[in-house]
Amino acid sequence: MRKPSPIIGLIFWSLVSLLTLFPIYWLFVISVKPAVQLFSTPELILSDPYWGNYAKVWGDRLLRSYMLNSVIISTGNAVICTVLGFFACYALSRFNMSGKESIFFWTITNRMAPPAVFLLPLFLLMTQVYTVGDWKLLDTRIGMILVYCTFNLPFAIWTLRPTVDGIPKELDEAAYVDGASSWQVITQIVFPLCRPGLAVTLILTWVFAWNEYLLAATLTNFNARTLTTGLSEYVTTTGTAWGVMATISVFTLIPALIVFGLVQKHIVAGLTFGAVKG
Amino acid sequence: MANVTIDKVIKRYGAAQVMHGVSVDIEDGEFVVLVGPSGCGKSTLLRMLAGLEEISDGTISIGGRVVNDVLPKERDIAMVFQSYALYPHKTVYDNIGFPLLMAKRSKAEIAEKVKGAAEILDLTKYLDRYPKELSGGQRQRVAMGRAIVRDPQVFLFDEPLSNLDAKLRVTMRIEIKELHQRLGTTIVYVTHDQVEAMTMADKIVVMRDGRVEQIGSPLDLYDNPVNTFVAGFIGSPSMNFVHGKIASDGSSRVFQSDSGLKLPLPQTTAAEGQAVTYGVRPECVRIGEGGVEMEIVAVEPTGSETQIFARSGSDLIDALVKERISARPGSKLGFVIDPEDVHLFDRKTGQHI
Repeated sequence: MRKPSPIIGLIFWSLVSLLTLFPIYWLFVISVKPAVQLFSTPELILSDPYWGNYAKVWGDRLLRSYMLNSVIISTGNAVICTVLGFFACYALSRFNMSGKESIFFWTITNRMAPPAVFLLPLFLLMTQVYTVGDWKLLDTRIGMILVYCTFNLPFAIWTLRPTVDGIPKELDEAAYVDGASSWQVITQIVFPLCRPGLAVTLILTWVFAWNEYLLAATLTNFNARTLTTGLSEYVTTTGTAWGVMATISVFTLIPALIVFGLVQKHIVAGLTFGAVKG
Repeated sequence: MANVTIDKVIKRYGAAQVMHGVSVDIEDGEFVVLVGPSGCGKSTLLRMLAGLEEISDGTISIGGRVVNDVLPKERDIAMVFQSYALYPHKTVYDNIGFPLLMAKRSKAEIAEKVKGAAEILDLTKYLDRYPKELSGGQRQRVAMGRAIVRDPQVFLFDEPLSNLDAKLRVTMRIEIKELHQRLGTTIVYVTHDQVEAMTMADKIVVMRDGRVEQIGSPLDLYDNPVNTFVAGFIGSPSMNFVHGKIASDGSSRVFQSDSGLKLPLPQTTAAEGQAVTYGVRPECVRIGEGGVEMEIVAVEPTGSETQIFARSGSDLIDALVKERISARPGSKLGFVIDPEDVHLFDRKTGQHI
């Protein structure tokens, strides 16, 4: 069979990449234009960028605190989900429990409904139930971390299960015979071998929390507001600050791009892990 | 070094009992091979010895200490797995040194012992490599290195050669035997390959369906099998079996098969008319004049010897001879059997008469 020319593939994938990346480019273009130029005839090639929006956003203390909240909440959520998800998968993979496949299935059910369904019960739980004296979980970073964990932990378990299942049990047994304790088997053998899957889970859960808007907008007022909710504050009755919003969006995008870039290799390895018998 | 005593060991998975009171005594420094077909329970027994499977009933003792409830790491044993079970993220050095690291030995001691084991196993130049960068035989040696570095009381091998090609298997067989001679440690070795069992063992334990069929030295099992299962399992090519009965042929007694083939009988207590299974090893069947005439079905020369398959009625006989035979399938040859080489088994129970 004749192999198709690599030029055709190159052109095809360049076009697909262009289509995918164009909105991001356009977002950047909007962010470096003053408000008066936004609705003039669009220019495809960027000339004379205006950095005023960036100075405004960076100088805004409130937005900086939103960004810090986003970093803390996303990272806390990702770390907790990945670690707990890993241990849950290890237990599901290595121990015989009655109904463990049912447990595995039902963990994901809360991802099957739209998140809006959970808004009211979560709001009531955080304001009426999870309280200590005057202190409430509502509008706290830990509150948001826990809320995101309820959605992302099942996802983490589903993502990590094939990875942990893919580590042969004989390696655990060999380590036990070699004198390792259960903790040492997990930390020295299984955990390092799951690194690609763990990286994927960490990144995806981090990105889910980083990008989330609906829950953050409803369950935070001021103290734990995140960058995505900050965006909506620029849609006001007097008009919409498109340039500033685009700049915030660029700020939102940059960390995700950096993290993805750093662990890209692991993500590809993790998504294909266990797909074929080694 | 230690002796191992397996006493009336039973294994159940829920309601299903898969091992039925297995007892084996293993002497200090002995090389014992557990052999049997797939599903006979040999690997389960080895895993119970290692502490990787619970013992439902009975006791296992290592060096006089009952280890039923002792964790694998406290049994002072080392195990080589069929898949080698090397840690893929660790180098050869770290793989071999892992048991010492777990035992909290000093770095200097680990380095000394790992290098010592690497020298014995000819792995010195591969210490910085990862398992994926090694050949099958080298991986096998790393797995053995990880076992010997601990200087355990007992080595357990679970079909360690079955993933290797035929040539490498022979080489590794010799290496394992040499290792045993050098270290003198008690070895329990599981295989389904009877040639491996015969060539390596001081003592063979033949198992079937969770029971021990016979225990003995390789030649003892070859010469004196207690039943048709052991007789058929030990020896390659496997023993010929012909079903029939004891009959009289004038003044003497002969074996007469169901299809009428008459074969010479050894001295036996079996009564005339008794239904028996006649067993003779292919290498004990010679070609010569005055023998039983049979029709050649196939001739398979291997160079050093020739295997001949012959038929008389519905009875098939397999002969392994040193001579080179030019006979063609369909022609007839005389086969001579020395009565002293014949084994008679009770046809119903399969037990040696």
